[in-house]
Amino acid sequence: MTTQVPAGGGVDATKGTEPTSARQDVLGAVARTAGEPAFDEYHPPRLDLVSDCVHCGFCLTTCPTYVLWGEEMDSPRGRIYLMKEGLDGEPMTDSMVQHFDRCLGCMACVTACPSGVQYDRLIEDTRQQVERRHARSARDRALRAAIFRLFPYPRRLRLLRGPLSAYQASGLQALVARTGLLPRLLPTMATLESLAPRLTRVPRPPERVPARGRRRAVVGMLTGCVQSAFFPDVNSATVRILTAEGCDVLIPSKQGCCGALSVHNGRAAEAQRFARKLIDTFEGTAIDYFVVNAAGCGSSLKEYDVLLRDDPAYAERAAAFTAKVRDLSEVLVELGPVAERRPLPVTVAYHDACHLGHAQGVRAQPRRLLRGIPGLEVREIADPELCCGSAGIWNVLNPEPAAQLGERKARSVEATGAQLLVTANPGCLMQIAASLNRVGGTIALAHTAQVLDASIRGLPVEQLLSRSSRSASSRPPKR
Amino acid sequence: MTDIDALAARLRTDLAADQVVSDRQELRTYECDGLAHYKVIPALVVFPRSAEDCARTVRACVAAGVPFVARGSGTGLSGGALPHAEGVLIVTSQMRRIVQVAPEDERAVVEPGVINLQVTRAASPSGYYYAPDPSSQQICSIGGNVAENSGGAHCLKYGFTTNHVTGAQIVAPDGELVRLGGRAPDAPGYDLLGAFVGSEGTLGIATEVTVRLVRLPETVRTLLAAFPGVDEAGAATSAIIGAGVVPAAVEMMDALAIEAAEAAVHCGYPEGAGAVLIVELDGPAAEVAAQFAQVETFCADNGAFEIRIAADDAERALFWKGRKSAFAAVGRISPDYIVQDGVIPRTALPEVLHRIGEISRGQGVRVANVFHAGDGNLHPLVLFDDGVEGEAGRAEEVSAAILALCIEYGGSITGEHGVGMDKAKYMPRMFTDDDLDTMQLVRCAFDPAGLANPGKIFPTPRLCGEVPGRHRGTHPAQQAGLAEVF
Amino acid sequence: MPAALDALGDLVRRAGDGDAVAGVPARFVGTPATTEEASAVLRAAAADDLAVVVRGAGTKQDWGAPPRRLDLVLDTRRLAGVVEHAAGDLIVVVRAGTPIAELQGKLAPAGQQLALDAALPGATVGGTVAVSTSGPRRMLYGTARDLLIGVTVVRPDGVVARAGGKVVKNVAGYDLGKLITGSYGTLGLITECVFRLHPLPAADAVVTRRVADPAEAGRLVAAVLAAQVVPSAIEVDAPPGGGIEVAVLVEGVPAGVRDRVALLCRLLGGEAAQQRPDWWGTYPWRAGETGLKVTAALSRVPGLLAAARDAGERHGAPPTVRGSAGSGVLYAGLPGDAAPEAVAGIVDHLRGAAGQAGGHAVVLTAPAAVRERVDMWGPVEGLALMRRIKEQFDADGRFARGRFVGGI
Repeated sequence: MTTQVPAGGGVDATKGTEPTSARQDVLGAVARTAGEPAFDEYHPPRLDLVSDCVHCGFCLTTCPTYVLWGEEMDSPRGRIYLMKEGLDGEPMTDSMVQHFDRCLGCMACVTACPSGVQYDRLIEDTRQQVERRHARSARDRALRAAIFRLFPYPRRLRLLRGPLSAYQASGLQALVARTGLLPRLLPTMATLESLAPRLTRVPRPPERVPARGRRRAVVGMLTGCVQSAFFPDVNSATVRILTAEGCDVLIPSKQGCCGALSVHNGRAAEAQRFARKLIDTFEGTAIDYFVVNAAGCGSSLKEYDVLLRDDPAYAERAAAFTAKVRDLSEVLVELGPVAERRPLPVTVAYHDACHLGHAQGVRAQPRRLLRGIPGLEVREIADPELCCGSAGIWNVLNPEPAAQLGERKARSVEATGAQLLVTANPGCLMQIAASLNRVGGTIALAHTAQVLDASIRGLPVEQLLSRSSRSASSRPPKR
Repeated sequence: MTDIDALAARLRTDLAADQVVSDRQELRTYECDGLAHYKVIPALVVFPRSAEDCARTVRACVAAGVPFVARGSGTGLSGGALPHAEGVLIVTSQMRRIVQVAPEDERAVVEPGVINLQVTRAASPSGYYYAPDPSSQQICSIGGNVAENSGGAHCLKYGFTTNHVTGAQIVAPDGELVRLGGRAPDAPGYDLLGAFVGSEGTLGIATEVTVRLVRLPETVRTLLAAFPGVDEAGAATSAIIGAGVVPAAVEMMDALAIEAAEAAVHCGYPEGAGAVLIVELDGPAAEVAAQFAQVETFCADNGAFEIRIAADDAERALFWKGRKSAFAAVGRISPDYIVQDGVIPRTALPEVLHRIGEISRGQGVRVANVFHAGDGNLHPLVLFDDGVEGEAGRAEEVSAAILALCIEYGGSITGEHGVGMDKAKYMPRMFTDDDLDTMQLVRCAFDPAGLANPGKIFPTPRLCGEVPGRHRGTHPAQQAGLAEVF
Repeated sequence: MPAALDALGDLVRRAGDGDAVAGVPARFVGTPATTEEASAVLRAAAADDLAVVVRGAGTKQDWGAPPRRLDLVLDTRRLAGVVEHAAGDLIVVVRAGTPIAELQGKLAPAGQQLALDAALPGATVGGTVAVSTSGPRRMLYGTARDLLIGVTVVRPDGVVARAGGKVVKNVAGYDLGKLITGSYGTLGLITECVFRLHPLPAADAVVTRRVADPAEAGRLVAAVLAAQVVPSAIEVDAPPGGGIEVAVLVEGVPAGVRDRVALLCRLLGGEAAQQRPDWWGTYPWRAGETGLKVTAALSRVPGLLAAARDAGERHGAPPTVRGSAGSGVLYAGLPGDAAPEAVAGIVDHLRGAAGQAGGHAVVLTAPAAVRERVDMWGPVEGLALMRRIKEQFDADGRFARGRFVGGI
């Protein structure tokens, strides 16, 4: 990015020009805001990446916060500019941090950028700097601490949905109530109520499930946190599909969180701990692929090599692991379908989860798989590049704008007239369901895996349509 | 409390606190528009949310004697939205309602912050669209389009913003709201609207715009032709235009531009092409069919070694993808670059391109060429590496030399991007002092106080109190009482 | 003869009776042949403080109000001829005194045209631009405002100024051409115009259909607008007492015209012809009668036609209405013997209807008895700004004084 101005001036003296690259400043002699520079030497946002931005602005209309507020500071172009200011020596003020925090991390800007700016790398490095170097308010700290004591732990998440006594006994209730997390979680919990019945016991998946028919691959599978706690049937469906398509599936029971929420929120050390543990868990398993059915997790897993680049003990293993990571739809298309697809006459609105579409570039594969089901019609949602507002824990930290984005998405989904909304991320599913509730719409919801599973097993389409945003809570018990 | 603080306080009352920005770090994110060469930090940034907000803001500025600059999406390429260091930057991005779409009148009414492409998206379900399509149409604002009289690839056939705006409500530089034009054409009196469009924010701020919608064509056919070089492509263009065909668009890219586009968006243009032409025809099916056959023939007759015809919308979009992302895409083959914008008579295209080649080779600076071949509007992309000593200066010289060429051949120093800050110094090479003086009469009529986007377009501002004309033969020194004629 | 004018020799002569403008006698006539000569004449006029009115072919002398002061008629007859026709670039540079018809004659051999319909025979380029007259094909091609890409003007102080250029794509500086277009000669003298040209179509045809009432005409027009045939013109003619004729012009290649004509015949239930109707491209009034220009949003044109009919009935003087239903620009004519009271009533009625329909009603010309009773221009938005423009260009108010809106 150039800071040159044409030689020879000649432009009128209304103090409107830069004669050199020094900035003209109303405050006069003071060059910048007081305080130490925003970033230290440990992985600050890279100047060369910042300089890739040519200020064209193509990212603005795909950025959810710019769409909501119309302010440069809450747009990718503006955030990159703030990073540049920080690299120039501006301090990390509350205002600067707020703008970084408000970024959803949806990567729509990465998709839109014609110059190939790696905003995903930039925001990740920046967030990690913020977490280490910025003193958040006590309330903010407490809220975040509560979130991260809950979300990366499937057992604790299950307690939210299990018998009340267990919930209370765990001390979780006290934590959730005290930190102000409860009211923020209530919408999510309410949505969950309508989507899935409370489970008294979650069946544990076996450690190894053999392929049906000829074995074509050995895959490891991530059970996840929110997915395994709230949508265990999605995991079961995933296993069934993989085995039907000729994969041995390895599901170590002691696997933990992949660290996606942590790395997306700047908690690098925590994320690295989770990553090392997960790599260790699958150590020695000769898997061909590591399959993920949650978009947010998949995008994070594909960057384990970057996350652990500074750790000599893990760097190589992380790179090897990363190379095997596939979203479920990717691996199925790569292997090619062998299991017969039975008809499912249904109209589907397919929602691209940001971390699958933007971050991983996986858009064609899910559509191809869905279109491979006889009788199934895929309809496109308007403004597909715009995030639904879930964005990991962003909707918990920013409930109002998340609700506005959710409503936008809900209306776009409704406008397709489709019977079923399909997406590959539990967060999106819950957010869109909750938003549809709020705007009074109704649509059935399913994970891509559930649709494929229903087709392979020849289930009646009514079963897929039974889980909707506003259906009654009583339902036939799941098999 | 400084004057600016007082103004900020007043604006926070007249509008709302969250509509005024004075935080230095935040102000800096507004210090440049799409032309990042120039940076000036505004003293304040204000976000009006209505025409009244905008009028109040301007009135407050007038009362304080503080200049103001308007900004839409900040994607302009001439520094038109470059702030004034002691002024207010009025950002219209929150005035973004589409007020009405009226296909029965072929009109839409929009606020200035509405994005260009959004107008078409709102109108297309009714079978209409908004014709001016700058390459940045997915982000540029209608207000910005009005200020710059933006064009786009399809302006060859359909005209520019000024041919598609029939009315506007503006805040005049004195802070009064004035309506110009309307839904019907030919409002009585002077065509103030015609003067306003393209005035680059120096005559006021548009707060509502009535645009003309055009019926979607029955048929659109797009062709991509690969030629050994720009000479052949230029000859094909001449043949097409000379035969009386008026394509909706004729775009050309040379080898270097193709390379950049390929790297960015993988448009898959034919390999080994020294130049590609994208020709698009639209209209009634039988008309298009006949003309398309002619276009194909002209391309083949003039050395096209590959001709692709878009089979569907998706393929058509792919042809255009390369062209539309060319500017930003050049960033992938060069660390830095200057986007130039100049116009020459179309018939002079081959010769001028040769001269550009000579200049480029002479200075050792690469130039990628993208242009609207149908109307002679060039966009040379002058590539350089700021990290290498002297390269930036040489690139500037090449850029300036190209503009001089445009003037030499009787063209213009800007076809679309505007004069802004960037080209004010070239105005005297294209216009005489009398020409510029006359234009500034208009500015004096609208903005005698000189507060609306000062420092743009004209290199030397005219003092509005001056007695117009020299016919009386009075020497200015005499008029000032400093001298007597004996 | 005043001193400065006298020094110009045979560029200026004394005026005769025939040189009166709208009944106002003139004292002198200037006849420059070049921009430089025109500049000299106007500089002299400024030095002698003379009031000036520009005259081309004199076809629209009676439009607007008569000048409140008149000393010098600046006649552009000798300022004629094509300066440059760059056929390959589809532009022409032409002097303002050139009759439009003559210009078209020079362009036609190259298969090109200035796509501007001239309503009054003999009208010059300068006069057409100064008043911004237009005809049926404005629907597709635009008007002088859209076709003018460059202009040379001599200011009231005699200074020569150019704006625009010789290329269609040009946003350098203000678009003075737009300001000058339709300014009725109140800002200065146009000496040269640069126009963008269009190819002459290989084929054309008109489809017509006569209907009973405005509503039906409106339906047909809407159907044509929706049909994607890209008409060059959609005209209506509503003489008093009779029905309404709708006529649609399409131009293009022979096969394309055939196709579209067939579609139009089906849509309109009409007939195709090569010839335009007799009334095509003419104003519905004769010299000495009352003529109005009435505009409306497209969908409100039928309403305007109905309002004209109502007004005629109510005031006992049925107007002839004719014009571009495809652009929302109509003209209404009232006979010279219509009672001035009735005419005034009809003007008010039409003005109200046009205003409601998003447009305006302007009385372009009228006999003296009518002028006394009507406001020719009607409400004008932005008048204060317009006065300031006038002040900047012509501080002494010597050019076409009183001819224009707001007494400018």
